[in-house]
Amino acid sequence: MTLRALQREFQRALLAGDTRFLSRIAETPGADSARRLTVYAEAYRLRLREALEVDYPKLRTLLGPTQFAELADTYIGRHPSRHPSLRWLGRHMAALLAQTAPWSAQPVLSEMAAFEWAQGEVFDAPEAGVVAVAEIADIAPPDWPRLHFQAHPSLRRLDLSWNVVPIWQALDQNESPAPPSAATTPQAWLLWRRQLDIHWRSLGVEERWAVDAWRRGAAFGEICEGLCEWLPPEHVPVHAAGLLKSWVDAGLISVLVLD
Amino acid sequence: MRETPATTSRPYLGYGLGLRTEHYDSVLQRRPAVDWFEITSENYMIGGGKALHILERVRADYPMVMHGVSLSIGGTDPLDEDYLGQLKALAARVEPEWISDHLCWTAMEGQHLHDLLPLPYTEEAVRHVAERVCRVQDFLGRQILLENVSSYLTYTCSQMPEWEFLDAVARRADCLILLDINNVHVSSHNHCFDPLDYINALPAERIRQFHLAGHSHNGPIIVDTHDQPVIEPVWQLYAAAVRRFGMVSTMIERDDNIPALTELLDELQRARTIAAPILKSSAA
Repeated sequence: MTLRALQREFQRALLAGDTRFLSRIAETPGADSARRLTVYAEAYRLRLREALEVDYPKLRTLLGPTQFAELADTYIGRHPSRHPSLRWLGRHMAALLAQTAPWSAQPVLSEMAAFEWAQGEVFDAPEAGVVAVAEIADIAPPDWPRLHFQAHPSLRRLDLSWNVVPIWQALDQNESPAPPSAATTPQAWLLWRRQLDIHWRSLGVEERWAVDAWRRGAAFGEICEGLCEWLPPEHVPVHAAGLLKSWVDAGLISVLVLD
Repeated sequence: MRETPATTSRPYLGYGLGLRTEHYDSVLQRRPAVDWFEITSENYMIGGGKALHILERVRADYPMVMHGVSLSIGGTDPLDEDYLGQLKALAARVEPEWISDHLCWTAMEGQHLHDLLPLPYTEEAVRHVAERVCRVQDFLGRQILLENVSSYLTYTCSQMPEWEFLDAVARRADCLILLDINNVHVSSHNHCFDPLDYINALPAERIRQFHLAGHSHNGPIIVDTHDQPVIEPVWQLYAAAVRRFGMVSTMIERDDNIPALTELLDELQRARTIAAPILKSSAA
């Protein structure tokens, strides 16, 4: 038997309980072959479960340890690790929760997973500088409409219909969270890293549109035009300038581009 | 035995610890009396953020080595070029004294099992692993260290004991060895061999680093959990290894149930206390 065939059999024993591999294990005093294989099978499941627990601590609290373990086992079966680092194992969790009964009946679970995964992405996103207010001030006002913005690599946008963020914060403070409740329209959220810390805040409807617009590549002039949907045209320049200053102050923008 | 220990000259870092997130604050604030740190390479193969920031601050004050868990040097999938690229980039950033991984396989058909799975001790596996080690060393531009893993099963097809397999791979690939003393103890218990046979058979000139760690019992099998203090028989085996190999950079590897840093510093002190008289007498 080739090395590859042996490893394939071992893997199938670990992942699918295939017993053919047992005959490849040498008999040694102290424990039989099945027992020896079980050590590896248990360790595999436990290690991947623990990785998911690290990525989804509040989801685990919401579900409780037993239900989370059932979820983790389902997840591991459907999404075995495809990356050398366990850091990326849990990336399909929100989608699985949204699409799979019984968890899909509680949409707050999927949204909690999305919120916790986004925090992880923000936490170790690549480094980049941020634009200072003075750099904006250096640009001549006639050029402002041609300004484009590149987001800091850590910036993430989520739309959450459920009160996921207050629940997460209550659990983080070891307080009893409010029961899950859904808003009539999704709430927009921004998450990003400033220095080494994760930040988030909610967005009003017009700021949500504006942020999504510049992240898609829209110039500042297009953003000002778009804001007229919510504001009288004479108020737009001041309001848009205020939004831009708040984005720069928060460290959301890494690069200014004049096209 | 092949040679006397004191005649082997090798780079020597002293006594180190694995750098763990639980100890970040203690390390940065107290600058503990640790000679060097080992990092788990995969934990820092990320874009940025706190972990890399702290890594650079610790690196500024301590020598460092990189220890990987996902190279899958014994695997039969093609070597992961993306992984190797990230490893090389991290090495350029950290400038480690050396880079190590395990003599095992960890992935198959693109699925990562995240465990250090044992290899059969066959001539085919020696050839296969040695050829891959050569390619990795060529890519990284340096020798790597391979660590003996704990194992809970062996294969009917094996043709030699583990120590002959490790020796053969190291010689054929011209790589170095990270000898995990606890893993020798664990595997000797699980597979009923004398751990001193293992220690005495290895090529002294290739031993570059020691690991010391604790373990747990799962019924009749000892499992390499790294969640307990080093036990007495492992300390005794460590003394035998120091007698055999001389001055070798030594560290405590603790990955779970992680205690306060002071507790690990005490364990490290015990390693110094055990090694000092042996090294003194062999130098005399």
